[in-house]
Amino acid sequence: MKVTIDGKKIEAKLGETILEAAVRAGVEIPNLCYIEAFGGQGVCRMCMVEVKDGEQKRLVASCTYPITGEIEVQTNTPELQEIRRNIITLLYRRAPNSDFMKKLYQEYVCPAVEVVDPAEKCIMCRLCVKACEKVGAFAISTIMRGTEKRVATPFDEASPSCIGCGACAEICPTGAITVKEENGKQEIWHKSFEMSRCEICGNYYSTLPVKEHVKEQLDNEVSGENLCPSCRRKKLAGDLAKFSIK
Amino acid sequence: MNQLKGNNPGRRTILVCCGTGCLANGSAAVYEALCDALKGNDKFEVETLAKATGCNGLCEKGPLVKILPDDITYCKVKAEDVPEIVEKTLQQGELVQRLLFRDPATKKYYKSHHETNFYKKQHKLALRNIGEIDPSSVQDYLDRDGYQALEKAVKRMSPAEVIEEVLKSGLRGRGGGGFPTGLKWKACAAVDNPPRYVICNGDEGDPGAFMDRSILEGDPHTVIEGMIICAYAISASKGFIYVRDEYDLAVKNLTKAIENARERGYLGKNILDSELSFDIELVRGGGAFVCGEETALINSIQGNVGEPWDKYVYPAEKGLWGQPTVINNVETWANIPVIINDGAAKFASIGTEGSKGTKVFSLVGKVVNTGLVEVPMGTTLREIIFDIGGGIQKGRQFKAVQTGGPSGGCIPESLLDLPVDFDTLTQAGSMMGSGGMIVMDDRTCMVEVARYYVNFLAEESCGKCVPCREGISFLLETLTRICEGKGKLEDLDLLESMSCTIQQAALCALGRTAPNPVLSTLKYFRDEYLEHINNHRCPAGICKELTEFYVDEKLCTGCGRCRRNCPADAITGEKKKAHTIDPEKCIKCGECIDNCKFQAVKVK
Ligand SMILES: Cc1cc2nc3c(=O)[nH]c(=O)nc-3n(C[C@H](O)[C@H](O)[C@H](O)COP(=O)(O)O)c2cc1C
Ligand code: SF4
Ligand code: SF4
Ligand code: SF4
Ligand code: FES
Repeated sequence: MKVTIDGKKIEAKLGETILEAAVRAGVEIPNLCYIEAFGGQGVCRMCMVEVKDGEQKRLVASCTYPITGEIEVQTNTPELQEIRRNIITLLYRRAPNSDFMKKLYQEYVCPAVEVVDPAEKCIMCRLCVKACEKVGAFAISTIMRGTEKRVATPFDEASPSCIGCGACAEICPTGAITVKEENGKQEIWHKSFEMSRCEICGNYYSTLPVKEHVKEQLDNEVSGENLCPSCRRKKLAGDLAKFSIK
Repeated sequence: MNQLKGNNPGRRTILVCCGTGCLANGSAAVYEALCDALKGNDKFEVETLAKATGCNGLCEKGPLVKILPDDITYCKVKAEDVPEIVEKTLQQGELVQRLLFRDPATKKYYKSHHETNFYKKQHKLALRNIGEIDPSSVQDYLDRDGYQALEKAVKRMSPAEVIEEVLKSGLRGRGGGGFPTGLKWKACAAVDNPPRYVICNGDEGDPGAFMDRSILEGDPHTVIEGMIICAYAISASKGFIYVRDEYDLAVKNLTKAIENARERGYLGKNILDSELSFDIELVRGGGAFVCGEETALINSIQGNVGEPWDKYVYPAEKGLWGQPTVINNVETWANIPVIINDGAAKFASIGTEGSKGTKVFSLVGKVVNTGLVEVPMGTTLREIIFDIGGGIQKGRQFKAVQTGGPSGGCIPESLLDLPVDFDTLTQAGSMMGSGGMIVMDDRTCMVEVARYYVNFLAEESCGKCVPCREGISFLLETLTRICEGKGKLEDLDLLESMSCTIQQAALCALGRTAPNPVLSTLKYFRDEYLEHINNHRCPAGICKELTEFYVDEKLCTGCGRCRRNCPADAITGEKKKAHTIDPEKCIKCGECIDNCKFQAVKVK
C-alpha cells in the first residue's frame, strides 16, 4: 500500500505504524520513547505527525497509528514544531538535571520556565520499564498517577525479581538510573549484588543473578567457568587456534 | 373536607425515596415507620402499600414521600411525621401543609412536586421510572412497560433493524463524547470476529455528578434491558457493567436485578426462545477518574493498570481482550428501551438538529434548587438555571456556569440563552461531558476556578503521556502564581500555547480537554486575569494575597452582622453607625461580604 511521507511515496505494510514505515524509508521523525523492539508506547508525543486521510486532516502519534489506507503524512509543519518545542520545554522543566534535556532545550530554542526539581533527570519515557520487561525481570514499573507518576520498584524497596542486569540504566537516555560499582558489589534500585569475578583477568563483570538468568535462558548451554566476555573470547579463540593448519 | 381526588381510589401507593441522598437524610426510618403504621391495614378504606424507590432528583428536599394516585409530595419527612400523614392524609384525606413543597422564591405551597417549576420544564426519558418504582422489584419494572422493548426487538425485529432504529433516533452517547450510538453498534456488528462484548460504563468519576448512580440505583433493569437489546443487535455473548466502587446501593440493586432477569429468562441461554445467549457480570471500578475513559476502563476490566491507549482503532473493532466491543454510558443504555418501544421518530422529535432526545444534568452550586434535572436537548442555560433551578441563591448575581465536569469550560452570562446541546457547548469552549452543571455567583474568582479544576486534573491524569502530565503541572504552577499575585503578562501567552499543545497532542480525551477551564476563562474573563497580574487585585475577593475588604460608609447601616460573623474580630463599629475593617487583623475569609445584606462590604 502506498503512503506519502513528506512528499516521498513509500510502500507500507498493512497495520504497521507510520513511524515504522518512515524509519524504513529513511524519513526521520523525532521521538523520545520509541525503540523498535518495544513497539510504540505513545508516551512522549514527540512523534506527532499530521495525517491526511481523504479530506480529513488530524494530528496523530506516528508510533502508534497503524496504516490501514493510502494516507498522506507531514512530519514537520509549523504546528508540529510548536508542539515539539512545548514538549521539550515541559520535559526540561521536569528533568533539568539531565544533560540530554539541557541540550534539547537549547536546540529547540524554548521559552524560559521555572524548573520543578533541579535534581531530577528522569523524563518518564518508560524505556527502562520496557527493557526490564524484555529481560523478563518485571522489577520496575510506573507507580502513582497524575503529576506524581514515577518509575519505581514495588514499595520503593529492593525488588526480589531484579537481577541487577543494568538493562534499564543502559537504555535510559537521561542517565537517571544510578548504578554504583564498588569492591565487587553492584548497587541498583535499592539492591546490592555480588559480582562475578573473572578467573583470568580478575575483573568484575556481571552480577551473580544475571549469570544464573543467562544460564536458565540458554538451557544451561553455557559453561560453568567464571570468565568475563573479553577473556572468554580470547580463550575460545585460543581453543580454536589449536585446530589451525600450522 | 376531603381534598383528595376520587373518593375511593381503591389502592394507594406510598413511595418513599430511598436514593442515596434521601437515605443519608434518614428515609429508611421513614419507610419502616410507614410499613409499621400500615400493618393494621383494616383501618383504611383503601388498600395501601409502601415502596422504597430510587432518587427523585430533589435530594435537598429529602426524604421525599409521594402518595399515588393522589399525586401528593411531602418533603423533608421524618419518621415522627408518619402518624400525622397516616391519620390526616390516608384516613381523613387531608393534606399536611407543612410538609408540602414550598417554592423558595414565591413562598407558594405545591401539592405535588410535578406542579413545581423544578419539574414542569423537565422531560423524563432516561429517568422515567426513577422515583416511581421499587428498584428491587422486577414486577414494578414490568408494570411500566419493562422488557417490552426487548420482546419487540427479539420477536419482531431483525438485528439490523434494531441498529437502524437506534441510528435513526439520532441518539448520541451520554458519557461525554457524544458519538452516535447507532454508528458504534453498526461498526461493531460489522467486524467479523466473535466473540463480541457489551460494556456499561458506570464509572462516573466527575465530582458532584450522580445521574448514572441514580439510574443504576433507581432503575437497574432499564440498563440491563438496553444492554440485552444491543447484545441481540450485534450478537454479543457477554456483558459487563463497570460500577464505581463507592456505589454500594447501585451494586446491590444491580446484583438483584441481574438475578431476577436471569430467573425470568431475559438473561442466560436462548433468551425469549431466540438464538441469543447473553449474560452480564458486574465489575467494581478502581475509583480513578481516568478509569471512566473507555480504553482505561477496558484495561481495568482486564486487570491491567487503568491507563488509556491511543484509539486509532476504536474499541468497536478491538476492545476488551482485543475483541469487538460496544461500550456505552449508563444514561445512553437507559434511552435504548424508550427508542425501541416508542420508535426512533418519536425520540428524534425531541431535541435539536444535531442532538436528539433529552439530557440529565446534575445542577449544583449557587443555584436555589439543586438536583438532577432531565430536559430536552436545546433547552437554554437560562431556563435550566433560572426557571428550573430557581435562580441564584441569596439573590446574588449570576457569574458563570461550568459544564462538562472538571475539564469543561466556564460559560458567561452573555451566553445564557445558548440552547444546550453537544455542539453548542463545544463551540462555546466547554462541553457536555456527562452533564455536570455548576452555577457560580459573583463571589467567584475565575482564575481560582481554573486553578481548582486544573489541580483536580493534575491529580487525576493517569500520568502516561507528556502533554497531559507535564502540561497540566505547568498550567497549575502558572495559575497558582497568578492567584498569588506573582503572575506576568507573558504567562498568558505561554498558558495559551501550552494549552494548545495539550489539546492537540495528549493521548486521551482527559488531556485533550484539560485546558478547557483555562482557555474558557481566558476567553470570557480575561480582564480578571489582567487585574490579578497588572493591579495585584482579585476583583471577586477570593485570592487572599490580592484581596482587601473595606466597608462602604454610605451603604453600611451599622446592623453589625459582619462584626458578629467575623471569626478574627477584625470589624469594629457601633450600632447603627458605619463599621470598619482592620486590614491587619482581617484573614480574608469573606464572611463579612457574604453576610452583609446591604452590599456594603467591598473589595478594594
Ligand atoms: C477522563 C474521562 C472520563 C470519562 N468518564 C466517563 C464516565 O465516568 N462514564 C462514562 O460513561 N463515560 C466516561 N467517559 C467517556 C468514555 O470514554 C466513553 O466515551 C463513553 O463511555 C462511551 O459511551 P457513550 O457513547 O454512551 O457516551 C470518560 C472519558 C474521559 C476522557
Ligand atoms: S537492573 Fe533490575 S530493574 Fe533494571 S532492567 Fe535489570 S532487572 Fe530490571
Ligand atoms: S529512568 Fe530513564 S529510561 Fe526510565 S523513564 Fe526515566 S528517563 Fe526513561
Ligand atoms: S491524556 Fe492524561 S489521562 Fe490521557 S493518557 Fe495522557 S496522561 Fe493519561
Ligand atoms: S515516540 Fe511516539 S509517543 Fe514517544
